[in-house]
Amino acid sequence: MHVRLIAAIATGVLATLGTAAAPSADRATRSDGAADRLAHDLYRELIEINTTDSVGNVSTASVALAQRFLAAGFPAADVMVLGPNERKKNLVVRLHGAGKHKPVLLIGHLDVVEARREDWSTDPFKLVEKDGYFYGRGALDMKAGDAIMATALLRMKQEGYRPSRDIVLALTADEEGGCCNGVEWLLRNHRELIDAEFVLNHDGLVGYSITSAHGVPQEFALSATEKMYADYQLTVTNKGGHSSLPRPDNAIYQLSQGLINIARYAFPVELNDVTRGYFERMAATRGGQTAADMRAITRTPPDAAAVGRLSREPELNSLMRTTCVATRLEGGHANNALPQRAQAMVNCRIVPGHSKEEVRQELIRVLNDPDIAVHYVADDGAVTERAPDQRALPPSPLLPQVVKPLESTVAAVWPGLPVVPFMNASATDGIYTRGAGLPTYGVAGIAVDADDMHAHGRDERVRVAAFYAGNQFFYRYLRAVTAH
Amino acid sequence: MGAPHLHLIATLPAALIACAAASSSLPCKASSLSAAERGSAAGDAAADALAHDIFKQLIEINTTNSVGNVTTAAAAMAQRFLAAGFAPADVVIAGPEERKKNLVVRLRGTGRHKPVLLIGHLDVVEARREDWSTDPFELIEKDGYFYGRGSADMKDGDAIMATALLRMKQEGYRPSRDIVLALTADEEGGCCNGPQWLLSHRRDLIDAGFVLNHDGASVISEHGVPQIFRLAATQKIYADYQLTVSNPGGHSSLPRPDNAIYQLAAGLLRVGHYQFPFELNTVTRAYFERMAAISTGDTAADMRAVARATPDPQAMERLAHEPSYGSLMRTTCVATRLDGGHANNALPQRAQAVVNCRILPGHSPEEVRGDLLRIIDDPQVAVHFIADNGEISDTAPERRGFPPPPLMPEVVQPLERVVAATWPGIPVIPVMIAGASDAVHTSAAGLPTYGVSGIAVDRDDVRMHGRDERVRVASFYTGNRFFYRYLKALTAH
Repeated sequence: MHVRLIAAIATGVLATLGTAAAPSADRATRSDGAADRLAHDLYRELIEINTTDSVGNVSTASVALAQRFLAAGFPAADVMVLGPNERKKNLVVRLHGAGKHKPVLLIGHLDVVEARREDWSTDPFKLVEKDGYFYGRGALDMKAGDAIMATALLRMKQEGYRPSRDIVLALTADEEGGCCNGVEWLLRNHRELIDAEFVLNHDGLVGYSITSAHGVPQEFALSATEKMYADYQLTVTNKGGHSSLPRPDNAIYQLSQGLINIARYAFPVELNDVTRGYFERMAATRGGQTAADMRAITRTPPDAAAVGRLSREPELNSLMRTTCVATRLEGGHANNALPQRAQAMVNCRIVPGHSKEEVRQELIRVLNDPDIAVHYVADDGAVTERAPDQRALPPSPLLPQVVKPLESTVAAVWPGLPVVPFMNASATDGIYTRGAGLPTYGVAGIAVDADDMHAHGRDERVRVAAFYAGNQFFYRYLRAVTAH
Repeated sequence: MGAPHLHLIATLPAALIACAAASSSLPCKASSLSAAERGSAAGDAAADALAHDIFKQLIEINTTNSVGNVTTAAAAMAQRFLAAGFAPADVVIAGPEERKKNLVVRLRGTGRHKPVLLIGHLDVVEARREDWSTDPFELIEKDGYFYGRGSADMKDGDAIMATALLRMKQEGYRPSRDIVLALTADEEGGCCNGPQWLLSHRRDLIDAGFVLNHDGASVISEHGVPQIFRLAATQKIYADYQLTVSNPGGHSSLPRPDNAIYQLAAGLLRVGHYQFPFELNTVTRAYFERMAAISTGDTAADMRAVARATPDPQAMERLAHEPSYGSLMRTTCVATRLDGGHANNALPQRAQAVVNCRILPGHSPEEVRGDLLRIIDDPQVAVHFIADNGEISDTAPERRGFPPPPLMPEVVQPLERVVAATWPGIPVIPVMIAGASDAVHTSAAGLPTYGVSGIAVDRDDVRMHGRDERVRVASFYTGNRFFYRYLKALTAH
């Protein structure tokens, strides 16, 4: 996503890097190798279980992993498979700690988006290693993360490691859509199983924390908040008629004018602790005008010229404000008939603190045409006149018990790589945990090239080296988080 | 043909009823026609019975493109002409395909003038039994109407034209010019448009001084009461254009500065704001002049003002508020369809619109494509031509509609007399129609073509191409008598 040119370290050296939390260099290297093999096995097993909503089965994946935890000596009471539907069961595993603090909850989704064999170069439900990449549906989103998190717990168990707090891992259903979002269901029905002081979410659009260029990490994004997703349907109706007799009013032109108004409109710049921190830190890694602009927009009021320049970069623009963009068009019914209806879909990403209804009202104001109806489109496609009033939650506070170990582990694994707090422009299961009052952070460690993020597309892939580096990183980070 | 556009005019005295209608108690002013032109009352009754038989026969032959057969209808008509004594050489069935043959019949005249060609299409648009109240392929008479697919478009006209020739033959009538009747295939679409095929392969069979096209209803009525007689004397050309904007797209959480939908919307707004230049021709000028005579107040004044050699721009502006007037003054282009994007959460990779144009005679579809490019003024908006069969091409045809020649007196004068005799007080108004009839082909071949029928349609009852297509029984018979008389008046001298 955002590519910064900074001093970078080749990923090839990572496997040999130890951290303060690892027992000894030699033993760590040996067990690192074993952990990489284990992660690879789990990764393969998960990719080869089809967990699509259409024909797949998340329960099968949950049960397969549960077997691994039971075989590793986790007591049955700490390995729960549960959910509302035979195909949509979630796995919750607990590694007991010293109980010095409330638990940390790790979340990852087991389901994947659909993939058709004929669209892919390889079988999407086989883990294929080719030219330095792992290919497969879920290779990135997010069976890599599921395998890495499970590996960390299994390794700790095997090492007899006793964390300062319980580590709870929830691998869940229907993040990508479907009847039964696992995180939501667990919070509602079994909150006690997954209650925690804070949540680490291994999912995210932003690289998986690390954006790389040609495999070289550029920065580590700590996702501390996310925008709220909302679709709106714009509709203009008209009497229509024969196209040989154009009327002064025309549904397509009215809609076009409305869309142009939206195109020209920019929501106000609104920074929060996370995005302000992001621009401040990024300013330090950038030179010249951009660095100056990043500093200028963090002032109150933000500098208008600086806002204008930074807004031209889509990824920076998305951090500064709510965005709304037209994504679909439909209208008319015959080439030779005046359109009786013209419709557009407008997709908005709402900054924390605002509601979907508030944005709907803003769209109505910007469109400035009472003939353009603005309806809300829910995730299940239901169209309603009003949108929910619920506000996107403010960012999770940057807890030192999360950030400090992160900075030290990142520094050890990728020396010089900056840790930057970030607002995720897309939606993850983090909306549910934040909604339940659990501070939630997106932390992964899998580097993805900015121009290679095809999470939902064909030939989804992850660099082999990035997968193993991510595996090593996450184990070390989890130990650092639970060291004291 | 496409739905006729029905002009809003000052309502005329309503007590005008077709003199041939059985219920008419008003005197018919048929005195302006000679006895020969009028024909005998007995002949009228026999001709009505014949027209009904032919009408029924044609409706009951399915001539849809999907499963029907135009050749069957052409052959059935040929039998009638041969049985009536037409020479086999004057009854020709010809066409490129087994199911799409056309009939060309010639009634020989004295040869004083070049022939008159009558054209009518035998094919009909599709009709599904379950959509209709009656069987669309049966002629049903109910509540004063004839129902059936083709009852208005245009097996009524086919039957009326065939009847006129058969009656003339039987009466031993010798016209001053040959009367050639071509009943043809695929006006409504299909592989093998009949007039087009005849013009390029058998021009000799159908060459003429001018053409009468029976497609469409000339008489506009309200609740069955005729108001005006529309003489279709020229037509616009129909053309569809596809506008396309492409974009790399991306994730919708990161809007790019360029967006296919916004680019398209901006282009469409420019099209929406643009007015093609004002341009009248002989037909539309005559239209405004004659409409001024039967209109009142500001509208009448404005019509006169636009028909002048130097038209008044403000009058133009005011009249154009009424789309039926605006469409006569200029080429029009209007966006009719939109399509774009592939997912709610993805930036659109493509946005498309269809723009439908109706082009004034004298201009080509390619010329208008160039105009659209200039108006849209964005090289990223591609403008392609969409042919009738849906094919997309980079450029459009260069073919121009012919600017209409002055109205031919030998067509208009007899028409005015016969209209006055049939529907006293009804004005004959030359009109330019929106196009999409076979007149496009004959005009393009240089044959002056006039849309003339005596069928009346209520302005709020246009059901061509729709379900329960129908024609008033009284209107059918009036139209039958009118056309015979007009054809005789036309060929009297």
